[in-house]
Amino acid sequence: MKLRLSSSCAVIAYTLLVVVPLWLAIDRLIWVAGFDPLGWINSLNGNYISQGVVAFTFLQALLSTVVTLVIGLPIAWQLGRYKWPLQSLIKATLTMPFVMPSIVAAMGFLHLIGPSGLNIRIDDTTWFATLIIAHAWFNLALVIRFCEPVLSTLDPNLEEQMRLLPAGHSKIGRFRNLWVPLLAPSIAAAACMTFVFSFTSFALVRWITLGDNTLESVMANIGSSAGIPNYMLARNEIILGASLIQFTVLIASLWLMSWLQHRRQNLLPQASEFTVKRVNNSGWMIISPAVIFALSPLIAVFWASFRIRHTDSTGTSYSWETSGWEFAFAGSSSMSSAWDALWNSLGYAMITLCIALPLGWALAQTILDVEKERPKTARFLDVLTMIPFAASSVMIGLGVMLGMIRIDAEFFYSFWPTPVIAHVMITTPFVVRIMLPALRSLNPIYDECAQTLGIPAWRRFMSIRLPLLRGSILVAVIFTLAMSLGEFGASWVVTRNSDWTTLPIMIDSLRSIPYNNTYTAPAACAVSSVLMGITLLLFTWAEKFRPARDGGMF
Amino acid sequence: MKIYSLGVFFILATMTLSGCVSQKIDDGGIIPPSKYQWVDDGELVIVTYDVYGLTDAMLEEFERQTGYEVSLLKLDDAGSVLDHLLQHKGLQVADIAIGIDNTYLQTALDNNVLWEHNAVLTNISDSALLPYDGAYAAPFDQGYICLNYDSSIIDGENYTVPQNLWELTNEEWSGKIAIPSPETSSPGRAFMTATTDYFTHDDDNETEWTDWWTAMSSNEVIITTGWSEAYETHYTGGYGEWTDGYVGDAHAVVSYCHSPGVEAWSAGNWTKSVSLDLPRASFHQVEYAAAIEGGNLDAASAFIQYLMSPEVNSKMPTENYMYSTLKGMDLPEDDGYRYHSIIPDQPANVSAAEIAENMENWLAQWNTAMVDA
Repeated sequence: MKLRLSSSCAVIAYTLLVVVPLWLAIDRLIWVAGFDPLGWINSLNGNYISQGVVAFTFLQALLSTVVTLVIGLPIAWQLGRYKWPLQSLIKATLTMPFVMPSIVAAMGFLHLIGPSGLNIRIDDTTWFATLIIAHAWFNLALVIRFCEPVLSTLDPNLEEQMRLLPAGHSKIGRFRNLWVPLLAPSIAAAACMTFVFSFTSFALVRWITLGDNTLESVMANIGSSAGIPNYMLARNEIILGASLIQFTVLIASLWLMSWLQHRRQNLLPQASEFTVKRVNNSGWMIISPAVIFALSPLIAVFWASFRIRHTDSTGTSYSWETSGWEFAFAGSSSMSSAWDALWNSLGYAMITLCIALPLGWALAQTILDVEKERPKTARFLDVLTMIPFAASSVMIGLGVMLGMIRIDAEFFYSFWPTPVIAHVMITTPFVVRIMLPALRSLNPIYDECAQTLGIPAWRRFMSIRLPLLRGSILVAVIFTLAMSLGEFGASWVVTRNSDWTTLPIMIDSLRSIPYNNTYTAPAACAVSSVLMGITLLLFTWAEKFRPARDGGMF
Repeated sequence: MKIYSLGVFFILATMTLSGCVSQKIDDGGIIPPSKYQWVDDGELVIVTYDVYGLTDAMLEEFERQTGYEVSLLKLDDAGSVLDHLLQHKGLQVADIAIGIDNTYLQTALDNNVLWEHNAVLTNISDSALLPYDGAYAAPFDQGYICLNYDSSIIDGENYTVPQNLWELTNEEWSGKIAIPSPETSSPGRAFMTATTDYFTHDDDNETEWTDWWTAMSSNEVIITTGWSEAYETHYTGGYGEWTDGYVGDAHAVVSYCHSPGVEAWSAGNWTKSVSLDLPRASFHQVEYAAAIEGGNLDAASAFIQYLMSPEVNSKMPTENYMYSTLKGMDLPEDDGYRYHSIIPDQPANVSAAEIAENMENWLAQWNTAMVDA
């Protein structure tokens, strides 16, 4: 089989950039802790720091999944079955939380339930509910994206026919015999991905939960002392145990997901959205609260960035000022200014894009090329590209650090684009996931026709493939940019050079400043608002180009 | 087939490569500056955690005075600074470490990751030199770790001021005390160290320090990852009640003995937080600046000299919320800063050598004590 040069390059580059760092991390941890998988897993409950973490991670992820479905399904139903004024705006608003950086969401929810909001956090049982609701807020888009297209394009004749049959006389009958079998794979796929994202939640857990940790956050807390021989041995075991469990669970979920997606591709009679949808005024009862729910954490963040507290012996008062913004952008007290963080974030996002997009695209193309003749190799590559999904940010962070140490520590620590390595590791799998279905749906006949006409390869690419793939490319571009801009976990774990401070890291550092500086919280919200604004811009732009009826998660 | 063999090739290649990495770390002895190949490259890389005393103005002034270009590598906490030194031993990434305290210092010394600086330091207070007096580390700030309590809940009926640590295991304090974890926080580590001394010297010969922690664990003590979560999120006596993550379920917290002073100073001489001065239940913490092995020794020494100058070091209370380490310096009297800060009569007496020798063991015992509860 003749393999393109670009394919080999992509596989080599991917291996070097993504697989090698992870391998380095695992190798080092095992070298320090010894090879004893059972011991690693037992160490999780044998240490106070990680006691109960496995149970908590599963519990919160399962509950988050259930709550997300409970909230998301009625919304998806309303959006899918009925006509709405400003429909695309409503849909965009409800799916936007998915691309919001999790640290922005964390700040938003803290303000919503904190003393300046609903003031319910004072009861120490509400934080768990907050975490679950925040996960639901985050993953709502998955339910909508997976289920809404199925509902909105199903030929209404099918339901009409169902009404005539004995099994479909009643609403319950139609529900059981039509909608459940029809929607089940989509719901399951949405549930699967929600579970994955809640399972690996870090920024929300770091800021919202009390006492409890997920596997991801416990690894982040102890990650800095991992991999040092004869030092804090238990921590290496905890990280290995946590990674092993996380990896297994995530690979299983992702496998289940890909199997479900396969099943979703069943053929059903379809019709245009316009003939399917009707007007339903009572549906506002669901749509309006949903829109408020989607927007409130973001409004809370923006609002809180202007609210400055003054406390003295006479009491506490608040004023509305822009001092928080000034504090953030002035960059006092050894903190880089928001301008620096903004330029870093944008710079890293652009470089990440320039690497991850061609790399992910080439990998997707490789998988597709290989698939025809060697399905097993294609499957192997497919799984290989999903590995960063399942690896924890500590593993990614530690791997990058060890790679830096191995090659040239001094160079990498003074090399501004170093953090891009972690960003590429995290975003490339998303590009592959977006580009693969797009490339699959490309009819080779156009290209073949052009080839017979003697049109050179680059022109075929420019005038046939590029226009046909435009929608998916743009979605991949925007997703890569949004992911890179919001990346928190790995950057937080990788040694942080103050010249590398990105917006999410700055939000976290601002909030971590101790003692009574009344500007730090508003400043953190100001930086969150900047990050939120950029993400919103990108997302609005992406919505314009999203291929209709994709039904995928992006 | 090509792809498959490529994959196998790379996995094999990385395996051999990673073998090399694993051997990179060796805990061999120190190479003295005289035998080390290092050049003064005009740069100073500082590895630190959020030490707030390092303000922009202060760093710029140093750059102006000496011509060195400063860059910061900021980590999460004091423990991460030590971790960084151990991870990067001999790699010449950074030149100076700022913020390692006396519970971590000996580990750094034992692992030979520091060099003796050549700054000439005079006028350092005796108390700051108590845990360590040598050229491997310069004490730049200090303070005492103590329990703080919310005085507004002390009514003489439901709550009284605790007279000893065992009282904190009583029912009224159940779930009402927040302590940063000794495993991830330096104030937590310092407080745990104090308890080893406290229970060795108490009248009770039946129980050990670990028994107290087990009793605390049974009494629903709140253990947090870091100081901020304990103080801001849980403690009812501090400024936390104005922050958005506030829960306010703890009436006592492990913090600094001068935390109430900082509270008063930043809120117009008003605070309800009070430090608890129990003999041997507080810990004298000293934070150090130290030249890193293989780094730019001249630059590191110049910075230490600068950091220890009266102009810079006297600002520790206001910029870094810690005591200066120079003779004759004290907290400012403004807005009750000095008035609300206590210096404990009898802090725990644990030498740096004892700490280094026992720390890993103590942490393991603490872990068992907490898990067993």
